[in-house]
Amino acid sequence: MDRRNFLKVVGATGAFIAVNPSTIQNELFANTGAMFRAYERVQLLDGAGAPIKISQLKKEMNYVFNYPHVSTPAILLNLDESTAKDVKLTSETGEEYVWESGIGKDRTVVAYSAICSHQLAHPTPDDSFLQYVQKDKPTMAFERSGVIVCSSHLSSFDAREGAKRLSGPAIDPLASVVIEVGEDDTLWAVGVLGSDRFHDYFKTFKPELKKFYGGKRKGKKLVKISAKTVPLTEYTKEIIQY
Amino acid sequence: MEMNRRDALKFGAVGAATVAAATMTGCSTKAGEMASSATSSAASAVGLGADLIGKHKVVIIGGGIGGMTVANNLKKKDKDMDILVIEKNDTFMSCPVSNTYIGKLEGMTLGSFIFDYAQPIQKHGYNWLQGEVMAIDRSAKVVTTSSGAVGYDILVLSPGIGYNYEAQFPTWSPEKIAHIKRVAPAALIPGSEHVILERNLNNMEDGDVVITIPSGKFRCPPAPAERASMVATFMQKEEIEGKVILIAEGAGFAKKPAFIESWEALYGDKIVFIPNSKVTDVDPDTKVLTYAQTTGTGKKDEDDFEIMKTETKTHKYEVLNLIPLNKASDVIGMAGLEVTKDTFGKVKMNGCSFQTKTDEDVYAVGDVVGHGIPPSGQTANWAGKQCAEEISARLKGGSYELPVKKAPVKAGNVCYSMVGDMPETAIMVTHDFSWNGSAIMGKGNVPKGPNGLYRQTGTAKALRDWYRGLMADMFS
Repeated sequence: MDRRNFLKVVGATGAFIAVNPSTIQNELFANTGAMFRAYERVQLLDGAGAPIKISQLKKEMNYVFNYPHVSTPAILLNLDESTAKDVKLTSETGEEYVWESGIGKDRTVVAYSAICSHQLAHPTPDDSFLQYVQKDKPTMAFERSGVIVCSSHLSSFDAREGAKRLSGPAIDPLASVVIEVGEDDTLWAVGVLGSDRFHDYFKTFKPELKKFYGGKRKGKKLVKISAKTVPLTEYTKEIIQY
Repeated sequence: MEMNRRDALKFGAVGAATVAAATMTGCSTKAGEMASSATSSAASAVGLGADLIGKHKVVIIGGGIGGMTVANNLKKKDKDMDILVIEKNDTFMSCPVSNTYIGKLEGMTLGSFIFDYAQPIQKHGYNWLQGEVMAIDRSAKVVTTSSGAVGYDILVLSPGIGYNYEAQFPTWSPEKIAHIKRVAPAALIPGSEHVILERNLNNMEDGDVVITIPSGKFRCPPAPAERASMVATFMQKEEIEGKVILIAEGAGFAKKPAFIESWEALYGDKIVFIPNSKVTDVDPDTKVLTYAQTTGTGKKDEDDFEIMKTETKTHKYEVLNLIPLNKASDVIGMAGLEVTKDTFGKVKMNGCSFQTKTDEDVYAVGDVVGHGIPPSGQTANWAGKQCAEEISARLKGGSYELPVKKAPVKAGNVCYSMVGDMPETAIMVTHDFSWNGSAIMGKGNVPKGPNGLYRQTGTAKALRDWYRGLMADMFS
């Protein structure tokens, strides 16, 4: 039934998904084949196991779920303004690709890999260096708030425009987690767009993967069926934000 | 400066003589073989005269943060670019965060700071020459090193700092300077200096540790105060009776309010700051440091300025970390570039650029640049990336305008200092970079945390993550 819904969504209401796969086919697969990768289609569930409904997402709150690997964090945001459309992004190595839009009726809901494209800072159960900074909170990384900030080396990314880099030593955008909304308002993650840093992540954080996931091999397993999605304040003990 | 220039010329002459001898004895083939082993690119030596072991489109002097960043980023832009890096050491040791080794923080061993060059060379594929630069001939476009001479089209200088004991202590003999370097090293140039300082602290009896802050530009402005913090935490943990004395030629030091707040809370009166004091002599045998301190008399002259007095004082130390005047590495003198007239001798830059003012084919990054940006690790990384953009655009026939020329770069520099242990706490400063029409300038901001304090446990975690990331940027 989920599967049917998914197909219907893609077929009938392409505007409701973050990236229209046909765009990807035309723009990207022709060039490199590397900028979009479909993963297991999983449903976002809250901490109690109930489906996350797109209408219930609080504005500007950082939600975190691990996807597509069981150890790779992603952030889910319901922004307080509509996202841009058809944003052209360029990777550090020069590949161009299109981030189509946020989802939901006002195109405010987005999801990005929460592993910094610069040097991989990310939320862990212990602490978090990378998150969206609400508009009423200050940041040292950029001239305004309402952006995603990595507080390790102070890079910032535009949540409204496909996590395009705004400032700091990062060059690549954050990778996007492609999400869809089902007919019953549920949220689903289906793939990753852009240059993700998963390979480097697994190489770099072996002790951390051991501590939280039982090892690199276990941390690399793909998320299946559902992904637990919780506010960042529940996901991590300490939020480090400049 | 004059003396360095003469030395450079002398070396140049010696180099030329060696080359001539090699030619006469018909060693040209041998020179070619040397190139294949020394620069790992045999093809580059084919067709060269006997006087060069290689010629490369871009030659980078210095495998530190600036030079490695230029090399890595040029290769990211064009994997076929012909690049040679010249570095005198066979391993890299990090200056950023190295004070935590002095403080014996958890997990911080020598191994935390030492990196090999094999991974980046393998990953990016540039050529490598281990050797010490002896002379630079800009008209012939040749760099002579202890491992041979190489030609270049574009030269990037990232040689870092040297120490200027001679200027600060004009009466000291070369033997005395060598002695002081052995027993009281500055430990701003990582390597044996850090090992010596750590050993001296490990072996110390009860007594004071004196750290001196020089005048003028020096590498990593918060380093002496961070080091004072780390020595204090080490002494506390080891229950060593004594104080940490920080003697500065100036009135203050980088991030001072944040350090003072941290010291008062964490170390009571263990760290003592003595300002306006010029170190004039050291007796390493009796372990006595002499300094001239200038203080106010409380009396005013007829123009209402306070009348100052200077007194000579001494301090007995158990361990001395004498940080002398810094200067640009001697490599800058060898290149004969126009430099600023201060004691450091910064390379004058060609406008909003990392190209030098003197020679359009010579670029400079890292501690030696003549912009008003701090000599920090992250700034060297930023400058290296900008410089790579400039060179890459130029080699493609275009040009690159630094974004900082149009709009300020927010938090172009971020610099952390560890101030406490158990739990680890750190403070930070960020610098926004902007172009003022003649130089790229940095404006600092030292933030407080949500609890109103400068020092934060989260900042200490950020320091560790920042360090991991910066090293990964260069070496993984």
